[in-house]
Amino acid sequence: MKVRTSASALLVLLAAGACGSPAGDARAPRRLVVAAPGDGFGLGGDAELGLYPINTNIYEPLTRLSFDYRPEPMLATRWELLPPNTWRFHLRSGVRFHDGSPLTAEAVRWTMERMARRGSGSTGIAPGSTRAVDDSTVDITPVFSNRRLPEQLVHPVYSIMARGSDPARHPIGTGPFRFAEYRASSHITVTRFDGYWGDGSLLPGITFRFVPDPATRVLSLRARDVDIVAEFPREVSDPRVVRSPVSGYEVLNVTIHGRRPYDLGSDRAIRRAIAAAVDRVRIARDVWSGAADPTPTVVPAAMLGAFASRIRGVDHDPAAARAILDSAGWRVGADGIRERRGRRLRLTLVVGFPNPHIHRPMPELMQSALREIGIELHIAQVPDDAAYQARIRTGEGDLWAEAGGQNDANPCFLTHLLFYSGPRLRPSGYARLFAPGPSLDRFVDACRNAVTREDAERSAAEAERVLVDEEIIVIPLAATRRVWGLGDRVRGFDPHPSSLSQRWERVSLR
Amino acid sequence: MTSHLLARRSTVVGFVIVVVLATVALFASWLAPHDPTLVDPVRAFAGPSAKHWLGTDNLGRDLLSRLIYGARWSLGLVLVATCLIMSAGLAVGVAAGYVGGVVDDVLMRLVDTILSVPSLLLGLAIVGTLGPGIESLMIGLASIWWVSYARVVRGLVIALRERDFVDAARALGATDGRIVVRHILPGILPAIAVLASLEMGELVLAISGLSFLGLGAQPPTPEWGAMLNDGRSFFFTAPQLMLYPGLVISVAVLGFNLLGDGLRDALDPAEASPIKGVGS
Amino acid sequence: MNTSAWLVRRLGGAVMVWLLISLLAFSLGTLAPGDPAQVMLLRRTGDPPAEAEVRQLRHELGLDRPFGERYVRWLSAAIGGDFGESYRSGQPVLGELRARFPATLALAVAALAVGLMIAVPLAVVSAAARDTLFDHVARFVALAGVSMPSYLLGYVLMLLFAVTLGLLPVSGAGGLRHLALPALTLGLGSAASVTRMLRGTLLDELGADYVRTARAKGLSGLRVLTRHALRNALNPVVTVSALRFGRLLGEAVIVETVFAWPGIGRWMIESINDRDYPAIQGFVLYIATVFIFVNAAADLSYRALDPRVRPGLPVSNPR
Repeated sequence: MKVRTSASALLVLLAAGACGSPAGDARAPRRLVVAAPGDGFGLGGDAELGLYPINTNIYEPLTRLSFDYRPEPMLATRWELLPPNTWRFHLRSGVRFHDGSPLTAEAVRWTMERMARRGSGSTGIAPGSTRAVDDSTVDITPVFSNRRLPEQLVHPVYSIMARGSDPARHPIGTGPFRFAEYRASSHITVTRFDGYWGDGSLLPGITFRFVPDPATRVLSLRARDVDIVAEFPREVSDPRVVRSPVSGYEVLNVTIHGRRPYDLGSDRAIRRAIAAAVDRVRIARDVWSGAADPTPTVVPAAMLGAFASRIRGVDHDPAAARAILDSAGWRVGADGIRERRGRRLRLTLVVGFPNPHIHRPMPELMQSALREIGIELHIAQVPDDAAYQARIRTGEGDLWAEAGGQNDANPCFLTHLLFYSGPRLRPSGYARLFAPGPSLDRFVDACRNAVTREDAERSAAEAERVLVDEEIIVIPLAATRRVWGLGDRVRGFDPHPSSLSQRWERVSLR
Repeated sequence: MTSHLLARRSTVVGFVIVVVLATVALFASWLAPHDPTLVDPVRAFAGPSAKHWLGTDNLGRDLLSRLIYGARWSLGLVLVATCLIMSAGLAVGVAAGYVGGVVDDVLMRLVDTILSVPSLLLGLAIVGTLGPGIESLMIGLASIWWVSYARVVRGLVIALRERDFVDAARALGATDGRIVVRHILPGILPAIAVLASLEMGELVLAISGLSFLGLGAQPPTPEWGAMLNDGRSFFFTAPQLMLYPGLVISVAVLGFNLLGDGLRDALDPAEASPIKGVGS
Repeated sequence: MNTSAWLVRRLGGAVMVWLLISLLAFSLGTLAPGDPAQVMLLRRTGDPPAEAEVRQLRHELGLDRPFGERYVRWLSAAIGGDFGESYRSGQPVLGELRARFPATLALAVAALAVGLMIAVPLAVVSAAARDTLFDHVARFVALAGVSMPSYLLGYVLMLLFAVTLGLLPVSGAGGLRHLALPALTLGLGSAASVTRMLRGTLLDELGADYVRTARAKGLSGLRVLTRHALRNALNPVVTVSALRFGRLLGEAVIVETVFAWPGIGRWMIESINDRDYPAIQGFVLYIATVFIFVNAAADLSYRALDPRVRPGLPVSNPR
């Protein structure tokens, strides 16, 4: 009868659910389960499984990013620059791909050609740039002078793939894990590769599950469904949270070459006043919930080596900010907002890079901080990075909130991309708004042409000093860290500053 | 009919809920003790106190004030959306029902087209492509939700246009426009009222759902659905951030449903059969 | 109207609706703010692209052709099964949809089943014990269930069954155990509305003549209820369940995201967030095709079963 059958069916369902339990009582060794936000795929257009944004260690690049942001030998044991502009990489011997084939220069050439066809960003590697000298030596000649190539090649998008492999369906790399299974929107599974050239994995394998909702990721950790959570929401306090070393930044860029009404940023006094109103300690605590340091550098300080201390940043001093504005002639009006010659001191903050949510609640904090010194801040939110870029092109903003991560070892990258006004391959909408000119350009040039790492670091630090201390075009808000959640059975997990370069082979489960 | 309405206690309850919420929405600026967007991270996650009756959220904003202003936002959006939807639905329904013929065919094909995809999904696609924000929300909702109105109106108009008094009016020389306005529209109004009440409940859920997905009202706007979204990460540390707006949304929808149910039953149930609300 | 004429009219109508919805789906891509070529280049290289590059990619993608031409090209490809390629993954959109649709289907069917399993006993008892405390409570609970956003329940159920009790997995793909919580979350809303409706139709049936006759003959109330009244009362419920299906798909979007269920609803959200316009266009067209087809098939079967049913009856209301 209908009533009875439906009731018993319900009971059966519940009973089936009650039998067995989630991963909690499994016997070791078992595979690690990691919850990550999403599949991601490549950087648009070409699917590459297991590479980005979560690095499943199927692949390895020629050089790897060390914890202190230097390029280390990986598939290349050493490299040298052959003047004028050719980098020669000597490949490690005895390395095999997962299909048993040896790592040869030809595989490197094939990988670089594939990547060059899609557009290789700032490396300058174009079709034909890569040449196999012999089986274990590769020459790469970028199309423009590039002293920082080995530092750029640490990024996983330059990972070496087996010749002829299909990264979208069956990835074949040299890493400690081989591809096992991929189910769209669900998970990707990798298993230990026993023929690995280095110390193999302690675990038999890893399953990376795609869990888009941050609250669900947290609950998964608590229910012991997963062992590790990537991108743990920073606002949730939890004893099992670990934070990586500083790996990113949140800054405000100030428009200095704007047209009315976005021309207030051209006055350095106003820029200094804004910077003095910023309380980095408070931002690290209230915006980033402790997942950031109040350090006034843009690129992680580790990347600048001994020279990081050259950048001081503007100290938090609202009284000084008010004094600056007073002496510049900005009188406080009836509603608390300053005016001068009939013009209101009103600024627009554009929030949306890489997305508006990552910054919350910084815009509101900035609003109240600036209000206290008499500046009215209007918040303009744009939905995504494309809309943000469009707005950069039209220049409709005074302050621009940006957050990003440092994923390679090139200290010159950011300053060159955004603030360099010298000759470049592609015109930059950023430079039109923010570039200070020769005072910065000479340091960027010096950095890009530097032969030794130390020279590059020094010039990069000087460039940042110009931007942050002298010209105050960049107002650093926070030096950010990545947040991971670890289950109590996890051992040996060391969060890399760049989660794209995270390694899993030393992880084990108690 | 009024006695019918008042006889059902549940209808009265629904009516009271709706009126109370509308009042709160109208007089939000007088009722709310604090500025709903005033950020004060030092006092985040505070429990209920004399100063903050319901405590504060993750940024130290007063929850009660945000809920009160939320009424203004959520109900205001529903009202605007309903006006847009009703105008479109009436226009199309009257045109299709009164004029008939080819116009009717074409317009009903249009209706079928919109109905060929579940409304929540189509709404999501439209609002999603237009980009997050209140304008996209209104455009997206208005372009989809008018169809049920149009159908009902069309049905009623067809029934009414054959009636004697219409023939009489026409015989007396009244223009079509006059007939529609003076004779047909008043006949449709009760049904429209019922439909509006039921649909408003659905709209509250739809708006809060889209805002929950980040597509509707953007922070720091104190819209109830957006508040649910904000509270998502803190579900276990501070569940009240989701509980309060969730509760308020449910009560609002409940009110609309009760009122709509009562209105529908008050009208002759036989006539009311084309007006099946979606939530029933 | 004879059957073949009706058939032609019905199918012709379906085709026209399909064409119109395809136009709407395609227009979504043009409605969108921002330039897809811009977005692709930005994602590919990480740097803001130059004007010349954007123009070249637009030309390559055919984005500089007039709207009509682009629509026709897209449509003819779609008819042939080519819905374009996702901006995010580079894979064919249709393939992505077909890989995920079964999961959503399973979830929706399970939710409907759960809804019915809860609603039927609840409605029966409610109708039988009319106007008692149980009835009032049940009615209130059902009304509350219809008024509440379904996704709220998701976290609560997760917390209860997965975290606290440890009976079920929190999220993810899998068999019955993974399906349980999302189906329950989605189904409870369904249960609420079906309970309300079923109670109403049951009460209607119970007032009918045949019921009074049966009782006069001495059959027990419960027997009459479950044997006869229920069977009749379920008819409109079955129809409404089919109609609710579309609404379930809509609510499934959020439930799939919260429970990391690998269905098309979640994929749609991700496509929207990533501005993957071919995916969004393909999604709308795909869903519309499925629904139009199913509705036409349903109409056909209704017509075949009962030729008295007039064509044009609003059985095709997926809301």
